[in-house]
Amino acid sequence: MPISLLFEQILNGIVLGSMYALMGGGLALIYGTMRILNFAHGEFFMLGGFFVFFLFAGAHITPFLAVPIAVLAAAAIAAGIQRSTLAILQRRDGWLFATIAATLGISIILQNVALLLWGERFQSVPYYIEGTLAVGDIRMAYQRLLILAVALCSLALVGLVLRYTRFGLAVRATAQDQEAAKVMGISTERINTATFAMGAGLAALAATMLAPLIAVNPWMGLPLLLKAFVVVVLGGLGSFKGAILGGILLGVIEAVGMSMTSAEWRDVISYSVLIAVIWLRPWGLFGVKER
Amino acid sequence: MLEVSGLNVKYGDAQVLWDMSIKVGAGEVVAVMGPNGSGKSTLLKAICGLVAIHSGQIKFEGKDISSMPAHNMTSIGMSLVLERRRLFPSMTVMENVMLGAYAKHARDKTKERLAWVEELFPIIRERRDQIASRMSGGEQQMVAIARGLMSGPRLLLMDEPFLGLSPKMVSAIVTLVQAINKRGIAVLFNEQNVQLSFGNAHRGYLLESGRVVLEGAGLEMLQNETVKRVYLGSH
Repeated sequence: MPISLLFEQILNGIVLGSMYALMGGGLALIYGTMRILNFAHGEFFMLGGFFVFFLFAGAHITPFLAVPIAVLAAAAIAAGIQRSTLAILQRRDGWLFATIAATLGISIILQNVALLLWGERFQSVPYYIEGTLAVGDIRMAYQRLLILAVALCSLALVGLVLRYTRFGLAVRATAQDQEAAKVMGISTERINTATFAMGAGLAALAATMLAPLIAVNPWMGLPLLLKAFVVVVLGGLGSFKGAILGGILLGVIEAVGMSMTSAEWRDVISYSVLIAVIWLRPWGLFGVKER
Repeated sequence: MLEVSGLNVKYGDAQVLWDMSIKVGAGEVVAVMGPNGSGKSTLLKAICGLVAIHSGQIKFEGKDISSMPAHNMTSIGMSLVLERRRLFPSMTVMENVMLGAYAKHARDKTKERLAWVEELFPIIRERRDQIASRMSGGEQQMVAIARGLMSGPRLLLMDEPFLGLSPKMVSAIVTLVQAINKRGIAVLFNEQNVQLSFGNAHRGYLLESGRVVLEGAGLEMLQNETVKRVYLGSH
């Protein structure tokens, strides 16, 4: 393989991986803060896809507005769902299994609501920007560069908020010890809702960015959900930073692996990575061994 | 200052606190003593709203707080130091201490409180950037108490503050509790050891299987025949 082609594949992998990072980062944030494995994560991705389809492809609203609106709408729906289901379940004993069942149920309901309201047709969203950047032999569509830039900026933003704001401090405290956080005066229920909405918002953002490359449909969330699980395991359960690095790493491994085999091997490659990690390093590549 | 009356607490079908009534006056140090499973931790958690109460009333400075959510506790002037410290393990000492001042009302006074707390606990300044989980148990307890003081409580509750500490550390914590009390802060703590509890309190309560069986001044409790016979093993 010529070196420029390899380089292009790696770049493609980073772009794809940045989407995995958005998905996995949200999932890790939710798991890390409230210990809920969110099986409905793919459906918040799907909602983001549909919203941007209606706003941008349908109503021709500029992406600068359509994308934030779609993300906020999906996050608001997620907050409402969390409040009316998961928050109530978590006040009871034995919520660990109950919440897994509940998120599965939410996933099925959201898929069917989307099917009912918007139909089973695959919808396409046009590129936000046309054109291709060419540097020497390496070519990259502007759309893909945009995806990468948006993903990296939003993940950095979330990381900074978690690190340096009062809200972020409260989220980290809640993640480490819910009871102690309450004693500090933190309304952990409010933090849980906000974190769930934030995680779902990241998933929706990934969909708004990917929508021009893949078709919008009620089932579009599932493949990305599975990838997000791989990413979260790869990065160490519940670690936001780990999920970002794991996401990008998985994207690169997939892209390079596919260029050496063929596109059908994509999932084989990523699940092999998953199995290898669970086998050899169950606490994840960047996580720490349980204390 | 704190008045608990007729408190009943159940975990599912099992009742753990029966018709419990206790009081803490302003500026008092009160000890709750009892063997494992006597309900002394549940009592503190129920006062703070961490455990739901079945019936009864909890009043703080005349206000009914029976159904107040736990996260409002610091804003009314109460603070709890949880059993086994419960510091946020991957945060630094300073982050832990600052979280103690998270409540809205405490924010403005953060600076002066920090200065006061650092004076009481020099370890806060010396180890400010150390990760909390890498400290010894006694050091962690100091940080936990400091964190509990950052909201400026008038009543400090401590759940088994001496648990698992070396004798030297225990006496250091006792001295600190006295210093905190000298500043006019009332303290309610529980402890399994008779000397440690009643010996360091103005007043004390003895619990057995979820009921108050004896109450009185700390020194009287130490002299009490039942206490001596059952808990000090003298005949």
